[in-house]
Amino acid sequence: MKNAFKELIHYLDVTRAYIKMAFLSIIEYPSAIIGWLLSNPIQFIVGFATIRFVVEEFGSINGWNYGQLAFLYGLSVISHALSMIFFIQGWFLGFYVIEGEFDRFLTRPLSVVYQFLFTQVNIFGLTDLIPGIIVFIYGCIKVSFSFSIKNIALILIMLIGATLIRGGIYIILGSSSFWTRSANDFGQYTQEIFDKTTMYPISMYPESLQFILTYIIPIGWVSFYPISDMLGISRVGGISGLASVITLAVGIVVMIIAAFIFRIGLKKYESAGN
Amino acid sequence: MEKKQKFNVYLQVYKMQIIRSLTYKFDVYGNIIMQSIIMLASAFFWKALYGGNDSVSGVSVDNMLVYTVVSSMISVVLTTNVERRVTGSVSKGTIAIDMMRPVDIYKVFLAENLAGGTALVFQNLIPIFIIGSVLIKFPKPASAVAFVLFLVSLFLAFWINWFLALTFSMLAFKVINMDSLIQVKKHLIRLLSGSIIPIWFFPASLRAVLECLPFVYLYQFPLNLYIGKYDTHTLIKGFIVQAVWIVIFVAVFCIMKKRIEKKIMIQGG
Repeated sequence: MKNAFKELIHYLDVTRAYIKMAFLSIIEYPSAIIGWLLSNPIQFIVGFATIRFVVEEFGSINGWNYGQLAFLYGLSVISHALSMIFFIQGWFLGFYVIEGEFDRFLTRPLSVVYQFLFTQVNIFGLTDLIPGIIVFIYGCIKVSFSFSIKNIALILIMLIGATLIRGGIYIILGSSSFWTRSANDFGQYTQEIFDKTTMYPISMYPESLQFILTYIIPIGWVSFYPISDMLGISRVGGISGLASVITLAVGIVVMIIAAFIFRIGLKKYESAGN
Repeated sequence: MEKKQKFNVYLQVYKMQIIRSLTYKFDVYGNIIMQSIIMLASAFFWKALYGGNDSVSGVSVDNMLVYTVVSSMISVVLTTNVERRVTGSVSKGTIAIDMMRPVDIYKVFLAENLAGGTALVFQNLIPIFIIGSVLIKFPKPASAVAFVLFLVSLFLAFWINWFLALTFSMLAFKVINMDSLIQVKKHLIRLLSGSIIPIWFFPASLRAVLECLPFVYLYQFPLNLYIGKYDTHTLIKGFIVQAVWIVIFVAVFCIMKKRIEKKIMIQGG
């Protein structure tokens, strides 16, 4: 017990050092952060504008009005940003396999999964948070969302769960590289699929697809279920707040599965070279 | 070198690149699956939005579904990797050697791009066409004339896209980190070209601005021709603007190329 505690403290120490390093890298390349500060907000603000145009043309999307969609979009971008900060490595797992980068991790006395995720905390992901928060606040005003302690807690629980679901899926997809030995970079496609399924209510899709998104690839929990609960559109199991808790649980399960697949994959790993 | 010999060099590059594209089978299947999911999601999206309405903004559901399928197919034709190719070459420092070779490096890039495109026609375009036809809707063009006009505009769109990418990649010589700029360009094209959401849903003032920019001539204009949403006036105007943008990008590219080549020689001492 004491040893486990010591180890945990050690990991926290290392994490702090890694995050500090990540911040230092901003100072190293100031032009890079300016580039991302432009590119990421542009992406989401233009994306949100297109939703606005569509809603103006069609009135509402499957019964969700403009304010509710803004709320959904904002929270979805925020969990996207958080997953970009902590789990973007999953997108690049293939390159680590091809380039033999895991050699370095395997020789160090820390968990490989941990090192893989935290050696490069993607601090530039913070630039995704800005448009997310702006659209979210806008949505809150539009739907006159009440910031009670319960609601704030639900949002935080939901965000942690959503970030874990996204991260887990990135890692599972990335882990395919251990078997295929190719740098399959599905980052862009993954993001497009997530955009389509988390920024719009999934209730607009056919039931078969909804089933898949709920039980098999649990993207529905990233934003749709917890947010329709918060906005009082529909309640899972009829209990308010249950959806957010389920999101957290699903997130933890997905992450455990991802870590498991990653570990099996790592056994297949052979270093690069000839 | 003789002209014919030079052409053979580019042909060799083309062949090599095709072979390279065929190396990783899993990537191919993965891409097809991912792109099909995205295409299907878009189709469901439009179906749900239209609901009971037959037509919105003068466009029917069926046309919108054809639009979705053909848009996915165009995105295969307009795939370029030249920005990353140039960025990689510059940051590794191999660009100087590349430029000293007795072949035109930009033509080599073009040959690579055409080879990549050829491979993608078989790896992505045809599978997407089949999956789209079976699961969404057979993308039948509005008429034979519309189809021919579509092909012409797509040909021009290819060159706009190519010279836009090539001009853009010249920035790699000035900027250290191109990744974010490549993302900006990608998102602007994705959202402002009508590839996902047709610009006829945009407000009129914004539409007027977009019709002057090159992006809509990559997707929206060819797609409009395909589904028969054009008249003589928009047709002629569209082709003229496409040609003008090609001329502009070629001119800008030539100017930038000259300036950059001078700069590299100075660095080489």
